Amino acid sequence: MTIRVQFWSYFKDLSGCAETTEQLPPGATIDQLLKNLYARFPKLSAMQNSTLIAVGLEYQGRSYLLNEGDEVSLFPPVQGG
Amino acid sequence: MHRLVTLTRDPIFDSAYISQRSMSATMGAAVSFSGVVRGHENGEAITAIEYEANEPMALHQFDILLDLIEEQWPMIETVRIVHRLGKVPVGEPSLWLEIIAPHRAEAFASGQFLIDEMKKSVPIWKKMIG
Repeated sequence: MTIRVQFWSYFKDLSGCAETTEQLPPGATIDQLLKNLYARFPKLSAMQNSTLIAVGLEYQGRSYLLNEGDEVSLFPPVQGG
Repeated sequence: MHRLVTLTRDPIFDSAYISQRSMSATMGAAVSFSGVVRGHENGEAITAIEYEANEPMALHQFDILLDLIEEQWPMIETVRIVHRLGKVPVGEPSLWLEIIAPHRAEAFASGQFLIDEMKKSVPIWKKMIG
């Protein structure tokens, strides 16, 4: 399945792009997605303890089961206000 | 509860928002707050802050917080929140908030709650401009 990933804030600098796609087998979790992404974008892996993850508009954890067409956002802690 | 959440790249004119205020006769408290960009962040002089948002998700997360406010303080009549995006120069507001409630206690408490929680869950980020 194809998963679209968007990077926000300085995660765009760490990955060198604003978005990418990943091919994953059916039943893959966010954790598997992250492992693939960290292999492609090693600078992101340094931030793994402070990475927030959303699918669509909702926050999700690393065990979330991905579905075809999911749009995943990865970003650092938020700083509004 | 009336709710208005605005993400804007235009300057926030507090007085314009206040002039649009409407409150019913049972409401006795109108608390508004402006968050203004300081000239120093982490000990370093800056000229502006650049704000970026995942806008659809930010609006959704604000809505979740407003649901919590409505549940916890059901007497609140109105919450308006405006967050500016893009480059905000020092001295200009990046955030404006208003709560209309029957009494000051729930107006202040819910406003504090909204800002505290926003800083944990609403996907907005800032970059200092020197």
